[in-house]
Amino acid sequence: MSTLYNDLQLDALRELANIGAGNASTALSGMLGRPVDLTVPHARVIPMSEAVEALGAPEAEVTGIALGVHGDMPSTVLMLLSPVDAETLCALLGLEPGSEYAESALGEIGNVVGTSYLNALAGMTGIALEPTPPATATDMLGSLVQAVLATRAALSDEALLLDSCMTVEGEGCSIIFLLAPDHGGAGQLLGRLGVS
Amino acid sequence: MSDTMVRMGELAASKAAGASLVTLGLGSCIGLVLLDRRVGVAGLAHIVLPDSTGHDEVNPLKFADRAVPELLRRVVALGARKPLVEAVLVGGASMFAGIGGSMEVGARNEAAVLAALGGLRVRVNAAATGGSRGRTVRVDPGRGIVLVREAGGKDRQLHPPVAPAA
Repeated sequence: MSTLYNDLQLDALRELANIGAGNASTALSGMLGRPVDLTVPHARVIPMSEAVEALGAPEAEVTGIALGVHGDMPSTVLMLLSPVDAETLCALLGLEPGSEYAESALGEIGNVVGTSYLNALAGMTGIALEPTPPATATDMLGSLVQAVLATRAALSDEALLLDSCMTVEGEGCSIIFLLAPDHGGAGQLLGRLGVS
Repeated sequence: MSDTMVRMGELAASKAAGASLVTLGLGSCIGLVLLDRRVGVAGLAHIVLPDSTGHDEVNPLKFADRAVPELLRRVVALGARKPLVEAVLVGGASMFAGIGGSMEVGARNEAAVLAALGGLRVRVNAAATGGSRGRTVRVDPGRGIVLVREAGGKDRQLHPPVAPAA
């Protein structure tokens, strides 16, 4: 397989991811009433067989919040955080950990953060992105990531991953934010930026 | 000896005692074990999707229809006797209900693996499939034991069957 995207395109995607994640962390910060720090995002094309290890230990227990994305860049957004950090986030929102509202609150955080990210991308490039309602699961990192990748494995052995890490200041609580476009899905986005 | 990790779209076969074949954190994928316990040969395939039709450009071993016959060929090449080969299926879960049809993928993967095994006349002896939990599978070719683990849980012997504790 040839590489899906060249360096110039990956640079452009990294810049977009930076702006998207910036918008998303601002939304998260507003929701929690705390400052949120952001790492420099990765934009990388990696073999699917290596994708899980690139994100963490395959058997680590994590909470994942997933949003499907329809429109000009079919993708999946996956936010990953440790179950302890998920409890911390719920507590910051004034919810008892493990209460029946905790899962829907996490879904709502995912919704706000994910939609803010996508809106920044759409606003900058003029493409249409329509998120689906969030789904939440707590399980092994490998199971969650592979389930997301499997749906796009038919057309490629590699995956384009745009990932950033958001950390809630003073709480040591961090969220990995991952955008995984379908095979070739970033083509239209790159076209709008003139680097297709 | 160290274990062999079988990642997305990979397969491996072995007759090395004490060195397991392992797939960590299966979601909608299927971990298919084929083994002949009496000769101490086992194989493990990490199957991602059901059907390779129209997808000639990518690794064929990620598809059930291509991986199942190849895995059988590999264990037989190591000395497994085809009529005595047993199959164990793990995975095929739905991790995120309603997102991107991942539920459908897990169920379709399982159906495709069962169809391919049926076509090759290989018996399915045990399965831990479906549901919404991820699973790790490990098989030790020398002992012929298949272990399964869910998140936060302990290894459980899936095959051969164990008598329930009294």
